[in-house]
Amino acid sequence: MYRRLRPIAAVAAAVLTAAVAACGGGGDTASGKTEVVFSYLWSGQEAAALEKVIADFNASQDKIVVKGVSSPDFQKQLTSMSSANGSFDISDNFGSGVGAWASKGILTPLDDFMKTDGYDTADFVPSAMNQMKYDGKTYSMPIALHTQLLMYNKKLFAEAGIDKAPVTVEEWAADIDKLTKRGADGTITQLGYANAEINTSLTTLGFMFGGSWDDAQGKPSPADPGVVAGTKFYADTIPGKYGVDKVRKFTSGFGEYQSAQNPFYTGKVATMIDGEWQSVFIKKFAPNLEWGVAPLPYPAAKPELAGTTQVTTSTLFIPKNAKHPKEAWTFMKYLLDKKSMLDFTLALGNLPARTSMVDDPGYAELPNFSAWLAAMKGSNAKSLASGPTAAQYAADLGTAFDDIAQLRKSPADALAGVADKAKKYAP
Amino acid sequence: MRRKATRAAGSRRRLWLGLAFASPWLLGFVALVAGPILASGYYSFTDFNLFQSPTNVGFANYQELLHDERFGQALANTLILTVVGVPVSLMLALLLALALNLRVRGMPFYRAVVYLPTIVPIVVTTYVWRWLLNAQYGWINRLLGLVGLPQPSWLEDPAFTKPAVILIGLWTVGGTTVIYLAALKNVPQETYEAAAMDGAGPWQKFRAVTWPALSPVTLFQLIVGVIASLQLFTQPYLLAQNRLNGAAGGPDDSLLTYGMYVFQNAFVFLKMGYASALAWVLFLITMAVSAGLLLTSRRWVHYGN
Repeated sequence: MYRRLRPIAAVAAAVLTAAVAACGGGGDTASGKTEVVFSYLWSGQEAAALEKVIADFNASQDKIVVKGVSSPDFQKQLTSMSSANGSFDISDNFGSGVGAWASKGILTPLDDFMKTDGYDTADFVPSAMNQMKYDGKTYSMPIALHTQLLMYNKKLFAEAGIDKAPVTVEEWAADIDKLTKRGADGTITQLGYANAEINTSLTTLGFMFGGSWDDAQGKPSPADPGVVAGTKFYADTIPGKYGVDKVRKFTSGFGEYQSAQNPFYTGKVATMIDGEWQSVFIKKFAPNLEWGVAPLPYPAAKPELAGTTQVTTSTLFIPKNAKHPKEAWTFMKYLLDKKSMLDFTLALGNLPARTSMVDDPGYAELPNFSAWLAAMKGSNAKSLASGPTAAQYAADLGTAFDDIAQLRKSPADALAGVADKAKKYAP
Repeated sequence: MRRKATRAAGSRRRLWLGLAFASPWLLGFVALVAGPILASGYYSFTDFNLFQSPTNVGFANYQELLHDERFGQALANTLILTVVGVPVSLMLALLLALALNLRVRGMPFYRAVVYLPTIVPIVVTTYVWRWLLNAQYGWINRLLGLVGLPQPSWLEDPAFTKPAVILIGLWTVGGTTVIYLAALKNVPQETYEAAAMDGAGPWQKFRAVTWPALSPVTLFQLIVGVIASLQLFTQPYLLAQNRLNGAAGGPDDSLLTYGMYVFQNAFVFLKMGYASALAWVLFLITMAVSAGLLLTSRRWVHYGN
């Protein structure tokens, strides 16, 4: 008897394995509502704020129920969009990534939905809307904006005898020197300017010196004289002056960016260039810090560059393999609605993507927030292009910035090298 | 005659039965291992971004390799880490195994201590080492300072990032040590006794008895170690990482290993075709290196009778 059963058992084992492998993937909910899965990169307190907005939406709906999933793993987000059957219907990304994904067919164009609903995008910040487009179609929508300004530690300024924030880069450089403290052997104990992340600071410096990282067609232009001057300012003012080894050793001791050990919060760093979320971050991590914020300094010879900032965008998109794109669009419209956008941006301390909300009194509760709101209105608000090869360009710039910051190459040489490489992938 | 035929039929049936029982693994192997390997071979001749259908480009991906600076850098980094890291870790493992083979009280405890780091997840290990190696606050530099040695910026200075990776690798040498220890136990005692009778000292005993007896195990560990080192990814990736899904390679790309470069091309630049070509080239390199090691082994590996 058992001899007979053996082959049957073996076949059963094989069938079972195949069945298990084929399993997975869900359907609609038992309640008859269509389930829209919203996978987002936010986590922690930011995710909690988002869940509240989702709960409000679900309470208002009898056809759709949104399930929020905090999934801060970029890799997972990307790979789950490559399968035939998507695991989420709507997600978020940064504006600079729109072109790369749109050109590869990852994103659902939103134009048809907009046309059907007569959806008006006129209220959205124009430079942000431009980033959402690829080849004439709209592939994402901006939920929040970000601008960069000069932040400074008021206590350290007072100690150094500086009574106001620098207006020109020349003044800033002089302040940096006054704000930098060194031991007898050159060991740095306090640095006048440093950023946790070199990439955003150097791209912003490029803009501050009147440069542009992309040409009119959106192609990389890393050899632009303005961006070379901006990165040279950093190389000359920090590692060139205090020594690569000393700066390297000092910055290696920086604590986590999103923690009370952030070097700006602990007073190790006197000025930094950073975004509006710092208003909420500082309230949470360093409530006793005396800090101020000022427009980014400009070269004295170029006063027309006053008010320059770098604008970045947080976006919402529907992947091509979404199971319920129509319902996802309904939810996206809700998120982009003024009330949801206000709730969301207030909780995260982000700038709204709608021009009509810039003067909303709700933002007054966030300390110093108005400065960043004002920066986004200025005519010198610049952004990086969202071209199809943005990831490759960012990687090459990262390598060049490292060479510049470590004084291995002159800014002109390092950026000329990027231009050579970019010619190959963006001819 | 008839009997023979029945027996043949019986063994055939047993073969099928055996295959059926092995089928869960076989199916998994075909679907999850062999399939992707063959697919990557095909993709390596295409332009493929994971999302749109691949288009045939012939040998273009392989030709591109010849002009790719970062490919050269990644290959050089990986070879340096392998050529230095593998022999150093084998030597340390052997020394530890010899020490753990002594007759000392509390030996099981020492053996456990040496093996313990290997059961810590590699991500945890790397993050702990990131702080141990911190240029300003790290304990390694504090120790170096105490004995008056220079204190390098391990993770920021391109000259020291590779030593840092090798150092982290040595931390998990316990696995290799255990295999050596087992091999040491198998060296026949009477050979040592015979050597002692001939008046051999400790060094001569090691040269003439221990080392030849360990050489087959050394060959095995060398090949396994080289293959693992050529695929090194996690430690350098975590040390170089500065942003989610960025394409960082550490200071001056000094931490960019071959495995990292394959990953970056596939999932950051979305050039799956090029990444597949890279992976196949690595496969061929691994085969060639392993074959080379096997060839030299005739001269230094002794299989006892």
